[in-house]
Amino acid sequence: MAVRERSSIHGADTQFLDPAILSRINGLDLLARTVVDGFLQGIHRSPHLGLSLDFAEHRQYMPGDDIRRIDWKLYGRTDRFYLKLFEAETSANFVIALDISKSMSFGTHAVTKLDYARYLAAALSFFSQKQRDRVGLATFDHEIVEYIPPSTRHLQRILHVLTRAEPGRPGVLRDPLMRLGDNLHHRGIILVISDFYEEPEQVIDSIRHLRARGHDVIVFHVLDPAELEFPFESAASFRDMESDKMIPIVPDRLATEYRALIGEHTEELARLFTGSRIDYTVLDTSKPLDHALFQYLSSREKLARVR
Amino acid sequence: MGLLAPLFLLGLAGLVVPIVVHLTERQRRQVVDFPSLMFLRQIPFRSSRRKKIHHWALLAIRALALALLVAAFSRPFFENDVVGIGSTGGPREVVVVLDRSYSMGYGDRWERAKTQAREVFEGLGAQDRASLVLMSRGAEAVLRATSDRDRLLAALDTTSVSADGTLYGPALKLAQTILDESEPQYQREVVIISDFQRNGWKGDEGVTFPPGTLVSPVLISDETTPNATVASVTLRRDFFSGQERMTAEARVVRRGGEAPVDLSIVLEIDGQEVQTQTVHLESTGSAVVTFEAFTLSDVYTRGSIRIDPDALPQDDEFHFVLSPGRAMRTIVLEGANPQQDASFYIETAHISEEASFDVEVRRSTSLSAADLASTDVVILNDIPFPQGAAGDRLRRFVEEGGGLLLVLGERSAWQTGLEEILPGRFGPARNHSRGAARLGRLDRSHPVFEAFAGPRSGDFSRARFFRSRDLELVPEGRGLAWFDDGSVALAERRLGEGTVLVWTSTMDRYWNDLAVQPVFLPFIHGLMRHLSGYQERVPWFTIGQVLDLADPAGLVFVADRETELPPDVDLVALTPGGGSVALPATAGPRFLELEEPGFYPVRPPGTNPARPFAVAVNVDVAESELEAMDPEELAAAVAPRETGVVIGAGGETLSVEMQERNQERRQSLWRLLMVAALVLLLIETAISNWISRTTTTRFEHGRSYVPSNT
Repeated sequence: MAVRERSSIHGADTQFLDPAILSRINGLDLLARTVVDGFLQGIHRSPHLGLSLDFAEHRQYMPGDDIRRIDWKLYGRTDRFYLKLFEAETSANFVIALDISKSMSFGTHAVTKLDYARYLAAALSFFSQKQRDRVGLATFDHEIVEYIPPSTRHLQRILHVLTRAEPGRPGVLRDPLMRLGDNLHHRGIILVISDFYEEPEQVIDSIRHLRARGHDVIVFHVLDPAELEFPFESAASFRDMESDKMIPIVPDRLATEYRALIGEHTEELARLFTGSRIDYTVLDTSKPLDHALFQYLSSREKLARVR
Repeated sequence: MGLLAPLFLLGLAGLVVPIVVHLTERQRRQVVDFPSLMFLRQIPFRSSRRKKIHHWALLAIRALALALLVAAFSRPFFENDVVGIGSTGGPREVVVVLDRSYSMGYGDRWERAKTQAREVFEGLGAQDRASLVLMSRGAEAVLRATSDRDRLLAALDTTSVSADGTLYGPALKLAQTILDESEPQYQREVVIISDFQRNGWKGDEGVTFPPGTLVSPVLISDETTPNATVASVTLRRDFFSGQERMTAEARVVRRGGEAPVDLSIVLEIDGQEVQTQTVHLESTGSAVVTFEAFTLSDVYTRGSIRIDPDALPQDDEFHFVLSPGRAMRTIVLEGANPQQDASFYIETAHISEEASFDVEVRRSTSLSAADLASTDVVILNDIPFPQGAAGDRLRRFVEEGGGLLLVLGERSAWQTGLEEILPGRFGPARNHSRGAARLGRLDRSHPVFEAFAGPRSGDFSRARFFRSRDLELVPEGRGLAWFDDGSVALAERRLGEGTVLVWTSTMDRYWNDLAVQPVFLPFIHGLMRHLSGYQERVPWFTIGQVLDLADPAGLVFVADRETELPPDVDLVALTPGGGSVALPATAGPRFLELEEPGFYPVRPPGTNPARPFAVAVNVDVAESELEAMDPEELAAAVAPRETGVVIGAGGETLSVEMQERNQERRQSLWRLLMVAALVLLLIETAISNWISRTTTTRFEHGRSYVPSNT
């Protein structure tokens, strides 16, 4: 697959990050590679952000490489630009906590929330693998369904589990995330992907537990555009996908109030996560993945600077 | 206004369907799976919105269309027109033909029939006229063309079921006459209230009501009609030890029963129960019961055979009247020197089980006046016709009703003047060619050969005739039998009230061998019955028959002692029901109408003879066959020619003309309702399509929000 060069992250042609197009790609491995390569080339930055001090070799400068890594001494001798390459180091544990509760199967766009999260998790796993991180995965609903401990060799297992992940049961954040935190003995980065249909205090209590154990937590709040905009018009009975309870709804009267409520919900979550130094991002499944990837990249950079 | 199918009104309950659909189904038909109702639950629920009906016009149209459809299927009609059947607003001429045959006495049929007739009369308008015609085998117009409803009802109350059978023809003919005589402004109607027994309808009654007549048969019937009947009685007379004995045999028929029964059959003689037998009858079946012979010693012995009464009691009894038989006296004259055994076969042939012949053989050629006075038949067996006064007496004897048989043989001789007595001129004896002649042709329609009228009932051709006399018929003579060569074997001549027969061969075995043939005995009996004028006595009559007690010829059937019914004496007949019928002395006929089953004793007024002259009367057992015909069949046969007949609601039969002109008018409302409903449905379709198009756009837009995995 040809991947064209992207000019910049903000003005990038996000054709190959569009979930609608990605949904046509069979196999998360290829999808993740496509996403990551396309994204990285588009932002003109090196994928290798490791901070190892062990010199490995020199490589000729390529456009997009960080000019700070140019070996000026070698330039003085050869009058050519070379980059000093170091042995990549395994910098961190990167664990994705993916919510596969029944509500994640909702989708009114090209993909469901779970698909969107699946693509995202695969891409980030691939990205982190290239970053020499140890990658792990935990899928959960009201308990941990699958758990793959972080490792540099678990990418294929992760992709396989992501492929097979099926939503089916109601979800609860606290118990599985507590269990996950108990299982992770080394500090690392934990990415929580969920739709967070719980009260904001309950959500922050569940995730704050991970933060308290010293993990860096990144939260992606995945929502369908219909959950954000509530564009329904016809009166209908709305059924809760997890509890199967139904209530009759006349949307044209409720939409405004609903949008206000979901807005308040996300704002409260953002406020609480920020207060706990947790990166929180609302992702619209109708939007390309680059926003999520860039958010992740920014968080990693910020975490690197903090360290 | 009425409804032919009011149960369809239950369909009005369906009116709630569109309302419920508008109120509830509109919301329920679409279910949207949503990740969480967490925020939706926080929004106050407004029930008023849910219960709001959005399309009042559509709801009204649907409800109205449904109501119209229900009303159409309920078949509304205008009751006013039912009362005025066939009317165009004018008065009616109604003829109620009420079947009063005894089959209407089955169960409560008669009361139901009267109720139907009463309803017709009570439904008459002030300008309407009605007639009441009672139908049995005859017809009686109780009231004709009257508007007096009270008189009609009173006349109806006085009617009762008869013991007669059913014949539709006379009553319908009478009804036709009444309608023909009605003025043109009247709308004609015939209401036939009957059980419509099939056996009363012949199909060729020739009744056709005037054009425009409405024929309304009202069937009075029962689901099951179990009935047992004494269908027939056979009486056999024989002699034993000098006494006349009668053996009664009854055939009992049961129809329409549900289970086999044991029936008791009782024989009564002069009111005394003498024998009882029990027969086992299936639900439908018959049995023949033979009673022990009883001695018949007195005249006018009354007998009855009865079974246990059932729903139709009229046919459970059978009556008869018997008198000892009267022997017919026959004198055979064979001359002073007859052939040996010349009269042996004749004399022997008269001895029969019936013992109704008293034969005397005399070796002389003449009879005294006293002999002839007590004699029914004289046989001249191969002797010349008596001359002089004896011959004159014999001629007068015949002219006064006696019978004379000439058996021609060797000694028979033609005499001048016999051509005025005998049926022909006979010639000399001759032998038949080729050995023997045969009887080639018989007039089997003649009473003499009545016993041989049926096929294979007597072979005369086996008898060989070797010798006979030729007979040349005179104009007054009539040949009854012929030899195969064409010559006459037997000839007849009516002389006054009597009969003269000439047999051209002998009655012994010299000239032929007929005497030893099987046909000889019934042949002789046939000759004697015919010559004597013998008539079988009639032991019973049937309801509806009329007896003329002044007719001596008729009385032969019933009376042995004509002197008990002299024409110059007043008589009175007592009916079985206890009434009396005066039969005054008159020069004309004295008719006795037999209208009730039972015994009709007849005697002079004020007398009380021990055994008066009596006749037995029985119902027509054909009436006990309760099978009903289709009223439509009868109505179609008598309806005006230009119309047919169809069955209307409630079993009422209407002519097609009336159906088209009247029922269409009465019931055409359903068509209007149906059309209106269809129009409304078309409008509803257009409106709902328009709404659906607009709604579908939003709905399809809404469908995009249904989760992809659902």
